[in-house]
Amino acid sequence: MGAFAAILRKDLRLEIRSGQSTIALFALSLLIMVVLVFALNPQPVDRARDAAAALWVALVFAGMLGATRSMIAENENGCMRALTLSPIDPGALYGAKLAASFAFMAIVEVAAVVLITLFFNLDFGGDLVRLAPSLMLGTLGFAALATLLAAISSRTRAGDLLLPILAIPLFIPAIIAGVKASEAALSGFPLAAATQWLGILVAFDVLFVTLGALLFEHVIRED
Amino acid sequence: MTTLILMVVSLYGVFEWVPTEEDQGIVQRIFYFHVPCAWVAFAAFGIVAIAGMFYLWLKDQIWDDLGYAAAEIGMVFCTLVLITGSLWAKPIWGTWWTWDSRLTTTFILWLLYGGYLMLRAMADDTPQVARFGAVIGIFAALDVPVVVLSVRLWRTIHPAVLITRTGEHGLQDMRMVVTLLVSLTAFTALFGWLLMLRFQQLRSRSRLSTIRRDVALIEAAAGDY
Repeated sequence: MGAFAAILRKDLRLEIRSGQSTIALFALSLLIMVVLVFALNPQPVDRARDAAAALWVALVFAGMLGATRSMIAENENGCMRALTLSPIDPGALYGAKLAASFAFMAIVEVAAVVLITLFFNLDFGGDLVRLAPSLMLGTLGFAALATLLAAISSRTRAGDLLLPILAIPLFIPAIIAGVKASEAALSGFPLAAATQWLGILVAFDVLFVTLGALLFEHVIRED
Repeated sequence: MTTLILMVVSLYGVFEWVPTEEDQGIVQRIFYFHVPCAWVAFAAFGIVAIAGMFYLWLKDQIWDDLGYAAAEIGMVFCTLVLITGSLWAKPIWGTWWTWDSRLTTTFILWLLYGGYLMLRAMADDTPQVARFGAVIGIFAALDVPVVVLSVRLWRTIHPAVLITRTGEHGLQDMRMVVTLLVSLTAFTALFGWLLMLRFQQLRSRSRLSTIRRDVALIEAAAGDY
């Protein structure tokens, strides 16, 4: 637990001092949403659907950037090697990296939700609060997946090119469920209407976090 | 050789012997290729995951070679499933592709192992990359049941023939069952043969790289004198 807290504190302190990840994440998700506003040309009838779509596209692509950056920072100056040499449980290391990624993405998403409300002419109100479960579950799952896979892709020649190729297919089912749940929330349905989809998101989160914690050791080990 | 005979017998069965299905006509005969391809693809991806687990556990290169060989062959057959399914869907469903649950699942499976092969192609042959491959293989295989679960929520237009939703098998004519079984055996034999070929080739390559490394070490040692 000490190791987990120490690494998480290091990542958060680094972020508070530089602000790099959150600012880059925010800029990227802002631009993705702007592109989608013009690409979708939202009509009043499907506003909720389009807004949910834009939000999830922003989540996935900005999240990828965040995970890559976090791993590149560890690989610089052989920091990752030092971490693997130290007597830290790889699961704790994975948990800390995951928690940091999740925190940055969550902060950016709060801003993204405000922007999406403005861009797609939605109402500020209860709908946005009901959006929280699907977004947070989706973010947790994506951060879990991207943290593991970024550790892989950052160590290959292809680099960050490989991350989307590995991450997106694994994440598609969660996207299906997440978009449906978010759309239901933005359309003003109560949370109960999306229980089924939220259940799937929970299943994916459990799967991704467990597998990530178990397999991270094999990914970071060097020969 | 056995594989060749089985393939010829199953071709005869599919094109000559088996009666034409009443509703769909001649097109339905693609069934005897479509189903065995799907079976082989699933079996191959299963082997990838199991080989991956053994590799992480025992750290023996032999398991990585097996997993890599199975992934490549599985990808070929998964592509064939999508193509034969698409050819079949056009006349019967009236469309090449639809985002039906079964189709989506298979497509995601195809993307997953496409990612696995891209990883292997883009990275060097090191034990580390082999471990990456094993991790992705395990992840992909465990993702599949959840994918199936998640898309089950949609209604599907894909028929469940072998075990229907009421629990019986949907092939009326005994000759259809026999043809399907022959076809399945033939495709399984073909899979086994391809897997052995590729596996042996990868084994040779691994051995060669070990020899190269040893030679380089000896030369380096000799150079010191």
